[in-house]
Amino acid sequence: MTRLHRALVLLLVPLLTFGAVASVVAQEEVNISHYFSGELNQDNLNTIMGNFTESSGIGVVDSPIGHEDFKAGILAGVASGVLPDVFSYWAGARVQFVVDAGALQPIGDMWDAAGLDDVVPAGVADAATLYNGERYFVPFNIHYAAFFYNPKVWAEAGIEVPDSWDGLMDAFAEFEMKGIDPIALGSKFRWPGQFWFDYLLLRTAGPDYRAALMAGDASYEDAEVVRAMEMWQELIDAGYFVDGANAYDWVDAADQVANGQAAVTLMGTWIGGYWKGQDLVPGEDYDFFDFPEIDMVPQAGVGPIDGWVMTTGADAASAGALMEFLVNDVDAQTLWNTSFGSISPNVNVDPMAYDVVAAKAGASIAAAAVYAFNYDLATTPPVAECGLDMFSAFMDDSSDIAGTLATTQACAEEGFMQ
Amino acid sequence: MKLSLKASQRLWTFAFLVVPLSVYFVVVIGPLLATAWLSLTNYTFSAFASPEFAGLVNYERLTGDDYFHTSLKNTLVWMVAALILPTGGGLILALLLHGRVRGANVFKSLFYLPITISMIVIAQTWQWMYQPDWGLLNTLLKTIGVEKWKVFWLSTRGLALGAIIFAWSWQQVGLSMVIFLAGLTSLPGEMLEAAQIDGANYRQSLRRIVIPLLLPSSVVVIALAVINSLRSFDLVWVLNEGGSGSSTLAVQMYRETFKSLRAGYGSAVSMVLFAIAAIIIVFYFRRVRRLEHLYD
Repeated sequence: MTRLHRALVLLLVPLLTFGAVASVVAQEEVNISHYFSGELNQDNLNTIMGNFTESSGIGVVDSPIGHEDFKAGILAGVASGVLPDVFSYWAGARVQFVVDAGALQPIGDMWDAAGLDDVVPAGVADAATLYNGERYFVPFNIHYAAFFYNPKVWAEAGIEVPDSWDGLMDAFAEFEMKGIDPIALGSKFRWPGQFWFDYLLLRTAGPDYRAALMAGDASYEDAEVVRAMEMWQELIDAGYFVDGANAYDWVDAADQVANGQAAVTLMGTWIGGYWKGQDLVPGEDYDFFDFPEIDMVPQAGVGPIDGWVMTTGADAASAGALMEFLVNDVDAQTLWNTSFGSISPNVNVDPMAYDVVAAKAGASIAAAAVYAFNYDLATTPPVAECGLDMFSAFMDDSSDIAGTLATTQACAEEGFMQ
Repeated sequence: MKLSLKASQRLWTFAFLVVPLSVYFVVVIGPLLATAWLSLTNYTFSAFASPEFAGLVNYERLTGDDYFHTSLKNTLVWMVAALILPTGGGLILALLLHGRVRGANVFKSLFYLPITISMIVIAQTWQWMYQPDWGLLNTLLKTIGVEKWKVFWLSTRGLALGAIIFAWSWQQVGLSMVIFLAGLTSLPGEMLEAAQIDGANYRQSLRRIVIPLLLPSSVVVIALAVINSLRSFDLVWVLNEGGSGSSTLAVQMYRETFKSLRAGYGSAVSMVLFAIAAIIIVFYFRRVRRLEHLYD
C-alpha cells in the first residue's frame, strides 16, 4: 500500500464511520412542521419536543411556519410530495383534503396499541380522527370560540353580561352610548370574521343546514344565509364594530378589549394564551360568555381541534411514537393546554390544572349540542378561500348582500368542482 | 489527437458553460416552460388531480375577472409610481449629497440602509408605522391635535395601494441614489467648469449638462425600479394580503395558485406578469445598446 493509499484510507474510514453514525441518528429523527409559532405557544412546544427526545431518544427536527402561511405551504408540499414526517393540522375538511390526496398514512395500529380509545373521549375521536373509515389524526388541543371581554370594563360601565340575543343587543347599544366600541374585530387577514358568519348561521339555520352548506349541498344564496348576513349587516350599520376592522389583526382586537377600547371580541380560546403572555389574569382581566341563542335550534359550539398527522413517507415507529406522546403524555398535554388557553383531548389531564376561563370553556364544549369546526376548517380549502374573501369584503362594504353571496356561490361551485 | 487552438477554446468554453447553463435551465427555463404549460391546463393544485389540456380557457377567463383587472391596474400604477418616486427621489438625494456636503457619507449610508434590509422586515416596520391606534403616522396626527383624522392606511380603498407603494419607494430610493451618485461622480468636470465660465447658473448646468449625462444611470435606475415593482409580492402580502383593492399580479398569482389551489389559472396570471416583464426587459436592452453606440 502506497503512502497515498494509506492517506486515503485514513481519510475515508472516519468519513464512512461518521456517515454510518449519522444515518443511524437520522433514522432516529422525526421531521415536523407546524404553525405554533410566535404568540401561538411556540416556547412550550419546544419544551414538549425536548421532553419527548429526552424520554424516547428520538430527535425532533422542527420547522415552524407562520399560521396563515402554513395553510398554503403544506398544500404546496402535498402537491409536490415534499412533506415532513409529521405536521400539525386542523381536524375536519382540511385533514380530509390531504387524506384524499393520499398524503397521509393511517395511525390505527398505533392508536390501538397505545390504548388511545381510553384517553380521547369518543365524541372527539369520532369527529376529529376518523377519515374514510380510518384514523389519521391525533388531537392535541380543543379550542372554543366565544365572546371574550374584560370584566373590569363591563363592571365600570355597569353593564351585565347578557344571556340572550336581545340582552346582547342592549349591551352593545349601551356601550355605544358610553363611547366604547361594542365589538372589536381584527379581520385584516380575513379569518377572524368567520366566527361571526359561523355563529349567526348556526344560531339561526342550525347545524344541519350549516353542515349542508359546508359540504356544497346548499347554496350561499339560500334564505338561511341571507338572513345570517342581514343580521351581521345590522350590527355593522349600527356602528357596533370598531372602525376599520380590516386594518387590524386579531391581536390588535385582543388589545382593544384588554385596554377597554372595545367591549367584546368573538374569538377562540387561544386569545387566553396571548393574554396570559401579557400577564393578564384569567377571570379577573378577561373572561368569556357563549354566543347567545337566537332561534330554537340545537346550540352548537364552534372551534378548531388542532392535532398532528403522519405523512406516507414517515417511519411509522418513530413518527408514531411522537404522535402518541403528544396526545398521551399527561405532562405534555397539561403544559400545552394550560398555557394555550385550550382544552385537552386527554381525559387524564387534571381538570383542576385549568384556569377558570379554560375550565369554563371546557364546560361550554361539553354542554354544546353539536361541536362544529369553524368555517375555514369545515369546508374544503378552495371553498374556504371564497368565504374568507367574502367576510373580509363584507367588512369593507356590507351594502350588497345579494351580490356578495352570488359571487361567493359562483366561487364555491367552482371550488367544490376541484 | 491534438485539437486546434480554436477547437480547444470552444471545448473549454462549452465545458465552463455546461454547469451554469444546466442550473439556469433547471431553475429558470424549466419552471418557465412548466408554468406556460400549466397555464394551458385546468390543473388544480392537489396531488390527486393531474393536469388536463384546456387551451386558452384560463386566459379567456382573465378577461372577465374583476380581481385580475384590479391586480393588473395596480401593477401598472405601481410601475408608473416606480418611474416617479424612487427615481425622482433618488436623483434629488444624489444631487443634494453629491460634492462637499458636511456629513454626506453619514446621510448616504442612512438612505442606503433600507435596501440592505429584508423586505419582510421593511413590511413589518411599516406595519407598525401604519397601525391605526398606535402607529407612528396616526400618533403624529394625534400629537398635532388632529386625532379625528385617524387614517386606516391599509384598509381604505384607494389609499391602501398608495401606502404600500410609498413604503416600497422608501426602500428603493437608496438604491437609485447610489446609482445616480456613481453617475454624478463620473461626470466630466471640465464640461461643468466650461459651462460655469460661460455664465451658466446651477439650474442651467443641471438641465443642459448633468441630467442629459445621467441618462445611462437613469436607464439603469428606471429599469431596476420597474422590474422590482413587478415583483411586488412580499411587502403587499405582509402588509394586508392585497386586501382593500391593493392586490397586484404577483399577489393574485400566489393566491390563485397556493390559496385557491387553481394552479392552471394562477399560472396564466404569472404568464401575463412574465409578458409585461419581458417587454420591459427587451425595451431596456435595446435602450442600453443604443446608449452604448452613442457613447462609443
